[in-house]
Amino acid sequence: MNLKDILWLSYKDLSEKRVRTTLTVIMVVIGVASIVALISQTAGISASIQSALSTLGPTSIILMSSRPTGFSVIDTSQLSTLPNVSAVVPIVSGSAYALANGQNVSVTVIGVSTAGLHQLIGNTSLYSGVLYQDALSPSTVIGYDVAFPTSMQGQQNIKVGQPMTLHFFGKSGLASTVPVSGIINPFGTSIIPVDTAAMMSLPEAQALLQRNSYNIILVKASNTSSVTPLSNLITNIYGSNARVITTQQLLQTTATIIGSITLLLGVIAGISLVVAAIGIMNIMLIAVYERTHEIGIMKSLGFKRKHILMIFLTQALLIGMIGGVVGIATGVGASYSLSAIISSASSQPSANATANSGATGRGGGVALRGGPGGGQTFIGGGGGGGPSSTSYSPVFSLGTMLAALLVAMLVSVIAGIYPAWRASQMEPIDALRQL
Amino acid sequence: MSKVSVKVVDVHKTYKSGDIEVAALRGVSFQINRGEFAAIVGPSGSGKSTLMNLLGTIDKPTQGEVYIDGIATSKMGNDQLAEFRNKKLGFIFQAFNLINGLDAEHNVMLPLVVTDMPEAEGRRKADALLERLGLGGRLHLPPTKLSGGEQQRVAVARALVNDPALILADEPTGDLDTKSGENVVKLLRSISREQSVTVVMVTHNLDITKYCDRIIYIRDGKKEKEKVVK
Repeated sequence: MNLKDILWLSYKDLSEKRVRTTLTVIMVVIGVASIVALISQTAGISASIQSALSTLGPTSIILMSSRPTGFSVIDTSQLSTLPNVSAVVPIVSGSAYALANGQNVSVTVIGVSTAGLHQLIGNTSLYSGVLYQDALSPSTVIGYDVAFPTSMQGQQNIKVGQPMTLHFFGKSGLASTVPVSGIINPFGTSIIPVDTAAMMSLPEAQALLQRNSYNIILVKASNTSSVTPLSNLITNIYGSNARVITTQQLLQTTATIIGSITLLLGVIAGISLVVAAIGIMNIMLIAVYERTHEIGIMKSLGFKRKHILMIFLTQALLIGMIGGVVGIATGVGASYSLSAIISSASSQPSANATANSGATGRGGGVALRGGPGGGQTFIGGGGGGGPSSTSYSPVFSLGTMLAALLVAMLVSVIAGIYPAWRASQMEPIDALRQL
Repeated sequence: MSKVSVKVVDVHKTYKSGDIEVAALRGVSFQINRGEFAAIVGPSGSGKSTLMNLLGTIDKPTQGEVYIDGIATSKMGNDQLAEFRNKKLGFIFQAFNLINGLDAEHNVMLPLVVTDMPEAEGRRKADALLERLGLGGRLHLPPTKLSGGEQQRVAVARALVNDPALILADEPTGDLDTKSGENVVKLLRSISREQSVTVVMVTHNLDITKYCDRIIYIRDGKKEKEKVVK
C-alpha cells in the first residue's frame, strides 16, 4: 500500500462526511489559531516594549528621587565625576492637562535641556515649528497626540504659535499659558511618552512646576559593561534617597514577565488543542464504528491490521494538517484584529486614573514617574494619570507557526491512535456482520 | 499442482453464546477439484454460512482442517491470513459489500491496494474486467447509482481482479431478481470454465444449482449428501 493509496482511502472518509469533518477541523483551527494569535501578541508586546526601552539605549541608568526635595546641581556634578559616566541629564517632569481651543488633553510636562533631549529620544523630528531654547523662555514643543488629540479623531487642535494652558495635578490653581513653538512627529511607543508630552527647557519647567530641583536624572554609562557596576555605585551613594533603574534591568524584567505571560497564554491555547484532540478522538471513534462493515470488507479482501491502522491514523493526521494550516492563517488574521483592538483600547485616556492621580496629589511625572510617593511603574500609562500609548504589531515567527502546525498534527495523530487501533483489531467476520 | 482445490477434513465449529454451546458444524468433510463450480446448499441454520466463513479464512474451525490449494489454513495468523485471502481468494457477498464512497473502478481496484502492483496496471486490469462484464460505461459511478445486478457484477470483477485460485460466493443471487441472479450464476460458471478458477457458491436456491458441477448438501451441521454432475 503506497502513500497515494493511503491518502485516497483516508481522504474518501473525510470528504464523505463533510459537515462532520469541517466541524472537527474547526476545533483544531481554534486551537492552532489561538496559539498563533496569543503568542504573536506577546511577542509583539515584547518587541514593542523592547523598542520603547531601546530609545533610551542600553547604557542608561535612571535615578528617581525619593526625597521631596529632589535632586540638585550638586547631585548632577557629583554624578558627572563618577567613573565611566558619559552624560548626566537632569530632568523635571510632572503631570498636567493641557487646555487649548476647548479641548482637554493629559500631558506629561518634561523639562530637559535640548542636549539632554537628544540623550532621551535621539534626534527630534519636528512636524512643524522649531525646538525650544535652553533658557527661561515661555515656549514648549508638544507631542503629536497633544496637537492632534484622539478625542478629535486626528484633527489638529493646536497649531504652532498658539497658546496652550497647562493645569498641574496636585497643585490646585496652578496654571500657566505657554505658546507652542513646535510639534514633534509621531514618535510611537517609548519609555518617554513623547507623543503625549509637552517638552520645554529645564528652567521653564522648573518655573511652571514651582520647583528648583530635578526629580529625575538620566546617567549614561560610557559602555554597556560598566552599567551594572556604575548603577551599584550610584545605589550605594544614594541608598533610599533615590531609586536606580537601568534599562538592562527593565529589559530583563519585562523579558521575564513576558515569558511567563507567553507560557500562560500558550497553556490556555494548548487547552483548546487538548479539547480538539478529544473531539478528534470522539469523531474518529464514531467513524470507526460507522465503518465497521467497510473495515470488514477491506479485511476480507486482504487488508492487514497495519493497513487499517494507517488509513485511520492518516485520517487523523489530515484533520490535524488541514486544521493546522487553516489555523495558522486564521491566527495571523486574528492577531492583527486583536492587536488593533488592544492598541485602541489602551490608547484611550483614562479619565478615572487622571482624577485619582490629581486627587491624591502625588508628585512625579506621568511617564517618568517614581518621584516622591510615585508609583512603581516607569513606563507611561498604567495606574497613574495620563494616556498611555501601547501600540504594537503582532510578531510572527516561522518557528512558532511551524511548531503550532506540528503540535496540531501530533495531537491529532495521538488522538487517532486509539480509534485506529480499535479499527485494526476488528475481526473480519464480526465486522462484516455489522451493517 | 494437485487437482484438488479445496479439501475440508472433519471440520467442527462450535459457537459459545454465554454458557450455551451451539455446534454449527459437526464433522464435515469434502473436496472440490480445481476449476469446478460447486454449490453448498442447505436450509437456513444448516451451517452452510459457517462453512463458507471457514473456506474464506475469516473464521477458524474448532476442530479439523481446511486446505486450500494444499495449504492448511487453521494455523495461520491474522496477517498471514489477510495476505492469503488477498492472493488466493475472491469474495462475492449476498449484499454485494461494495464501498459506497468509491466508484466502480476503485471498488474493483481495492484488493490491489495492498499488493505491489503499480496503480496504472491495476487500473487497466480493473477497467478490462468491468468492460468484460458489460460495465465499461459505468466505471466512475458509485455503487448507489448502479442496479443490483450491476453491483453484483462489480463485486464479481473485484473478486477476479487478484486472479484468485478460489472464488467464494455467499448467496450471490439472494438480493437479485431471478433474471439478474441467473446471469450472475452463468457468469460464475463461465469464469470457472474459462479460467479454471474454482468457484464455491452457497445458496438455498436449488434452482440455480443446475449450473453447478458439484452440489454439497448440508443439514444440521453435517454433510447430508453430495452430487457430482458429469
